[in-house]
Amino acid sequence: MATIVTNNLLVLKKMNDKIAVDFKDTDLIGILTETRNRIHRGHVLLSHPLSGSIKPNETVYKSLIISDDKAELDLDSLRLIESAIETTLKFIGMKEYKWNSRTLEDFQEIDFTLISSAVESMI
Amino acid sequence: MRLELGNIFIKDVKFSNTTRVDSGVLYINKEEILKEIGGDEHVKNIDIELAHPGDEIRITPVKDVIEPRVKVEGPGGIFPGILSKVDTVGSGRTHALKNVAIVTAGKIVGFQEGIIDMTGIGAKYTPFSKNHNVVVIAEPVDGLKQYDHEAAVRMIGLKAAAYLGEIAKDITPDEVKTYETEPILDSVKKYPDLPKVGYVYMLQTQGLLHDTYVYGVDAKKIVPTLLYPTEIMDGAIISGNCVSACDKNPTYVHLNNGIIEELYAKHGKEINFVGVIITNENVFLADKERSSNWTAKLCRFLGLDGVVISQEGFGNPDTDLIMNCKKIEREGIKTVIVTDEFAGRDGASQSLADADEKADAVVTNGNANETIILPPMKKIIGMTDYVDVIAGGFDGSLRPDGSIEVEIQAITGATNETGYVTLSTKGF
Repeated sequence: MATIVTNNLLVLKKMNDKIAVDFKDTDLIGILTETRNRIHRGHVLLSHPLSGSIKPNETVYKSLIISDDKAELDLDSLRLIESAIETTLKFIGMKEYKWNSRTLEDFQEIDFTLISSAVESMI
Repeated sequence: MRLELGNIFIKDVKFSNTTRVDSGVLYINKEEILKEIGGDEHVKNIDIELAHPGDEIRITPVKDVIEPRVKVEGPGGIFPGILSKVDTVGSGRTHALKNVAIVTAGKIVGFQEGIIDMTGIGAKYTPFSKNHNVVVIAEPVDGLKQYDHEAAVRMIGLKAAAYLGEIAKDITPDEVKTYETEPILDSVKKYPDLPKVGYVYMLQTQGLLHDTYVYGVDAKKIVPTLLYPTEIMDGAIISGNCVSACDKNPTYVHLNNGIIEELYAKHGKEINFVGVIITNENVFLADKERSSNWTAKLCRFLGLDGVVISQEGFGNPDTDLIMNCKKIEREGIKTVIVTDEFAGRDGASQSLADADEKADAVVTNGNANETIILPPMKKIIGMTDYVDVIAGGFDGSLRPDGSIEVEIQAITGATNETGYVTLSTKGF
């Protein structure tokens, strides 16, 4: 049906029994480019690649939902992911932050709840 | 639907042994209000402080800002579906205490933003520095989850606003404004030559810290629907949103939406303002497609000639904004989008994360990446130890002397996308 691509261990832990979760030990851009590669292979993006109103240089976690089915290249998915990568690179270029562990836990929780709301809509 | 809004202008706010308004001064019995809003098992301590325009005070991190209002006549009560039953509000009479607001403060997550300076350059960037602020600081019990914390502070803020609003019930207002929206068939007969204009009001609805409630319903679960504008003035929409301080809509902004106010001002003269379509901004792409299909469908069904669309937040909602814009335009209806920009500190980068050639009429409320230095304040209500990690702050933002270098996105309401802002543009 669909798979979550994520670098957030909390998503792996909490969503694994509901939906396929593909955990990648990479950064935010790594998740976006991994997803872009899959879109080029014909998968369709099912959740928006930007996280709510949290700016791309304010979080290190990213979870995206992508279809398991493959078809011809979906141009809408490609446009969204390319635009998200462009926006993310712009923000990272402005400032990179050093986060403390409490903040990182909050980021994990928020990424988890954002992707949960998408999974709830889907199931 | 017709609403009389009675405004009572408050000149000052003071603590006293009774809660009342006397000669334009709001007196608050602190013990009584604390009793009224207390009792939540998730909160171990609540305190209230006052911050007046011009005071050397910094309030941070700000969660919500709420204007005290009360229903005086007509069905229902303020904040329906949350503090009152779910009767349809928006008719009869409502009283509002102007120039005063409840501000809820406290850190819910580690990077939460929201600064209101009551004086200095920062005060110029937020409309909320002009109010006498009754700041509610709620300290959570140890180990409380973010969801429960947000919900507790949200309810405490609304209860505090309702408590103060209740005083306005028996006061003769300083001015009474009347707002009326007739059923569309009647208004078209009345104004056959005026263009029919609607307002598509986008609500942020993506999950923790990004939620909005309509008559108590989590708006991520709704499909786009119609509201009389006056329902919103009675608190039909409330904020559960903690992020994106500069461009989220605090409850105060829902109650005082500038676009609704302006459209009413032109109603019956230049335009026929037929009503508000509310819609959401969800994470799942099919939700975005469905909701924007429905806003376009409703606009066409109403026979609109023009639509104003306002966004809430940044990034992901840019896609909803553009979907709404292009699908409504495809129905042959002209649109104006109202947004803000994240165009880099020099303002030279792409402003939005999405775009379309149909989005050719745009109102901006400012560049949220603009950087300013906030001077030190004598008093902090809340805490600043988190400033290095807030949105718009950065490593070294908080300087040893207490001044803060931030992007204006850290300031509550700085680039609000309903136009409730202090920034403007001048041509030379």
